Amino acid sequence: MRATWLLTSVFALAVLASGTAAQSTTKTIALPPDGVQLEPSDLPGYAEARASCGTCHSAEYMRYQPPNVPRSYWEAMVKRMKGVFNAPIDDADVNDIVDYLASTYGAERK
Amino acid sequence: MPQGRRLAPILRQIVKRGETGAHEKILDTPRVKIDAGLAYDGRTPTQRAGIEVIDRTRRRFLTAGALAGAGLAAFGRGAAVRAASTATVELPFENGRRNLVAYPEKRPLIVLTSRPPQLETPFAVFNHGLITPNDAFFVRYHHAGIPAAIDGDKHVIQIGGNAVNVPFTLSMADLRRKFESVELVAVNQCSGNGRGFFSPRVTGGQLGNGAMGNARWVGVPLKAILAAAGVKSSARQVTFNGLDAPLLGAADFVKALDIEHAMNGEVMLAYRMNGADIPVLNGYPVKLVVPGYYGTYWVKHVSHIEVIDGVFDGFWMKTAYRVPDNDCACVAPGTTPAATRPIGRFNVRSFITSLQNGAQIHAGRQTVVRGISFDGGHGIREVACSADGGQTWQPARLGENLGRYSFREFTFAFTPREGAYDLRARAWNHAGETQPLQALWQPAGYMRNVVESVKVSAV
Repeated sequence: MRATWLLTSVFALAVLASGTAAQSTTKTIALPPDGVQLEPSDLPGYAEARASCGTCHSAEYMRYQPPNVPRSYWEAMVKRMKGVFNAPIDDADVNDIVDYLASTYGAERK
Repeated sequence: MPQGRRLAPILRQIVKRGETGAHEKILDTPRVKIDAGLAYDGRTPTQRAGIEVIDRTRRRFLTAGALAGAGLAAFGRGAAVRAASTATVELPFENGRRNLVAYPEKRPLIVLTSRPPQLETPFAVFNHGLITPNDAFFVRYHHAGIPAAIDGDKHVIQIGGNAVNVPFTLSMADLRRKFESVELVAVNQCSGNGRGFFSPRVTGGQLGNGAMGNARWVGVPLKAILAAAGVKSSARQVTFNGLDAPLLGAADFVKALDIEHAMNGEVMLAYRMNGADIPVLNGYPVKLVVPGYYGTYWVKHVSHIEVIDGVFDGFWMKTAYRVPDNDCACVAPGTTPAATRPIGRFNVRSFITSLQNGAQIHAGRQTVVRGISFDGGHGIREVACSADGGQTWQPARLGENLGRYSFREFTFAFTPREGAYDLRARAWNHAGETQPLQALWQPAGYMRNVVESVKVSAV
């Protein structure tokens, strides 16, 4: 019985893969989870960054920048994300996020 | 977070696209499901489906790993299996440790970013033939709104804009059957390939040299498609948009080519890659192939093409992907260019692929050094190799010619005595252009093409 079931399954798979006109050609993908998370911090910008930055992208964008990237870079990026990509960041929170990024990933890291 | 709030911009996006004529089908049948799930809370569909347990386990393991020898067994079999599957690789620059993860239709690749996916090809792949396998081909998205499902039969491309006479909807069936197809082997290379090697370092995606690949593309020349729409004499540029979308609705990834370029007969809408469907993450079911030009123009999942009577000024043309507007596309390190232009054709590059830094070779025995070279479409005329850091050069032997847009193999044989060797390769194209001996610099970290060095020892 088991052998029969296996043979049937193999046959069914072969049909699905044969790509005749009647077959759907829908490709479906599911992406793996983020491989890197933001570095936890007591700074107020940490929670804000998790909420605002993490909406659209994973933390490698920060984690893999060269060491000692100056504060001006992080400030320009936060403003770009807000101004160009509509990141939901209140003006009052921009400095907190820049503080967190510069002191966690940039030149101000301890 | 209420799902509706974050989903709304995506729906607006789709409807907005619909204004050019595509909306009925998109709204009626969910044949393209923009993966809006990514927008809600930063979790991927896999995570929401209940894989958080594994993810937590992995983080726990990684934390424990930092404690050096805290004891794998304590975390159980599942954690150990998971740890074994998250291999890492060290790219040869500071802060270069990367995860190796298998994404859909891909073998484990170097993860530059998880979401949206940016995946780099492990360099060893380039030593295995001239064609880069589909499952090893690099991936570069700009937005996390990636279609989770695409029906390759029902997908359509809207052809329009204010500089065509007859806008029309191009189905995949028509693309495949009503137009004559062409085949071309061509390199695709990310503008920032090798950015991690810039000195002084620059910000942006810190790539090694694996954001390139060479594939056999089958598709239809864009010229034939646009001719069917009737290009008006007022046409100046052609814009290209794909199904991938920004999650918050702004700065969609849209690229533009000048009309003369778009109509040159080489730019094509490709639907086959190396004899198979294009992988989803490379643009299934149809991708723009712009031979000799950086990958930024190779728009994935092409859904809208517009011929316009002006110069397109979207973010990804006007602000991003620009290079110094001078002959070398370079400036003095650390300085800002006076003027910029959109990035264009590849410069000349070559890589030794058979040996990596630190390799040992046999003294007194002939070693055949193998590598690849390419340029923006003149074709490679010659490659020279050096074993002494560039003091003396000898011609390399060129391999099979798959066309002027393809990788071209070169080989160079030498018999070393015991000692240290600094191997270099330098290519010239048929226009006489070559690679600089000292790296050029520009703030965005594009277009690296210095003569690379591979240091080995013969023992």
